[in-house]
Amino acid sequence: MNPSELAAPGGDLSIWALFWQAGWVVKLVMIGLIFASVWSWAIIIDKAIAFARMRTALDRFEQVFWSGQSLEELYRGLSEKKTSGMGSIFVAAMREWKKSFEKGARSPLGLQTRIDKAMDLALTREMERLEGRLGFLASIGSAAPFIGLFGTVVGIMTSFQAIAGSKSTNLAVVAPGIAEALLATALGLLAAIPAVIAYNKLTSDAGKLAVRMEGFADEFSAILSRQIDEKVAARA
Amino acid sequence: MKTGLVTSVALHAALIGIGLVSLPAPKAFETADVEALPVDIVPIGAITQMQAGDSAAEPADTPAPQPTERPDTVEDARTVGDNDVDLDTPPTPNESPRPVESAAAPPPEPEPAPEPDPAPEPEPAPAPAPQAEAEPAPPQPAPEPDPVAETIAEEAEPEPQPEPEPEPERVALPESAPVPQTRPEPPRPRPQQTADSDSAFDEDQIAALLNQEDDAGGGAQRSRQQAALGGERTTAEQLSQGEMEALRSQLSGCWNIPIGAEGADGLRASVEFSVGSDGRIDGMPRVVSSSGHRQFDESAVRAIQKCDQQGLRLPAGKAEVWSRIVVNFDPSEMF
Repeated sequence: MNPSELAAPGGDLSIWALFWQAGWVVKLVMIGLIFASVWSWAIIIDKAIAFARMRTALDRFEQVFWSGQSLEELYRGLSEKKTSGMGSIFVAAMREWKKSFEKGARSPLGLQTRIDKAMDLALTREMERLEGRLGFLASIGSAAPFIGLFGTVVGIMTSFQAIAGSKSTNLAVVAPGIAEALLATALGLLAAIPAVIAYNKLTSDAGKLAVRMEGFADEFSAILSRQIDEKVAARA
Repeated sequence: MKTGLVTSVALHAALIGIGLVSLPAPKAFETADVEALPVDIVPIGAITQMQAGDSAAEPADTPAPQPTERPDTVEDARTVGDNDVDLDTPPTPNESPRPVESAAAPPPEPEPAPEPDPAPEPEPAPAPAPQAEAEPAPPQPAPEPDPVAETIAEEAEPEPQPEPEPEPERVALPESAPVPQTRPEPPRPRPQQTADSDSAFDEDQIAALLNQEDDAGGGAQRSRQQAALGGERTTAEQLSQGEMEALRSQLSGCWNIPIGAEGADGLRASVEFSVGSDGRIDGMPRVVSSSGHRQFDESAVRAIQKCDQQGLRLPAGKAEVWSRIVVNFDPSEMF
């Protein structure tokens, strides 16, 4: 940026012009912030869709599960499809159950433990899938203002140097450089605010879904435990 | 993830596009065209203080009053500048001055004396006047030991004035002159000339001793300089607020308010006094407006006198202002 640009105010003061006449550091910061914003919004939209889908899937599964259908039938129907949420927990548990009984399990206690482990694993995988990339939102939410501030500081520094070069302290000379530098902070806040809000919302939603799935896992574990007892009693 | 990314990019593009279109350059603030208002910071002294000069003249660096015409040449003039040519015979040298008891020499007379004073002026050439003291030829016989004659002789001696002294240039008053913290020393009392000669009391003697100095005209010398812009006389030197405050604090230090008047409201006495060039108060301070409380008025007068004993510290170079100072004595203001 040369002083003559600064010293010639009254020209184009639109946002585009402000961006275009900024120094390269500020430009870089602004471009980075715009990309961060794009990416965080992509995550937000993606997660919102994924959570909504998961919620409907859970609802449907619970409906099917408690409809009185036999577990074998349900398992046969689900094991061929790609499952998510409770479905995958159910499939993991049933798979372990079947494997154990096909090979003739001796200890009912070991079977129970294995089934629980399998369900835990499935649950963890589901949660990992749900909560993945939320960390990026948190980072953007906390770091974007600072990145914007950095751009602003650098921009103001450059414009002050240019002011010193142009040897005029007229406000009309000072103002464009500062406005352009402040644009970086504005972009930082623009990226950070939705990211923070979405992060808080999505984490609490993920927590709720996790509670629901854990509840189902416990319930299903209890059902299977009863089944194991019945089988052991029948065998004996 | 793809949907999210595509949507996000599309949203941002739309947002930036809208922003570029609908957030144009902000309108510049409308500012009225105001012509610059010239402001000068002028010390009040530039208006209130004025040097003597000619009101119609151009301003000049050195202030000078209206010039008088060059005086006519005086025949047989003895002062340089009074005649066109030098005289052939220089005037007879006067007899060497004898020691006189008078200690204070008369101040150099500022008058160029274009019109020679008829009586004591020694006319050297044409009229061999019977004036004994200026007679050129015979050395004066026995100079009488009479102090009267001595003083008369001394008096009659024309002061050798090398040239009519041009009026000392009036120098522009400095804005802030260094103020001496001590007052000027009063002139010492003249040694009494007749103190020891109490034996011969003579009225004439007294008269002679008293009239030792000619009346000084107070600087009425003619000006030969170009006139400068100014008023009829040098006027309006003023004590600044700070100087007035300094004087007030001096006086309040000397002031003992009479018991009973301390708490009284509305007691206020204005006392006028004048300070001579020696820094001492001339005469008695005068109560200009009384407070109606006699003791209070007297205490104010006493305060001034007490300060005078201790020595009033007044700014130097403002003698005109000193000549009349009015101080308001008000317990609520002075403390």
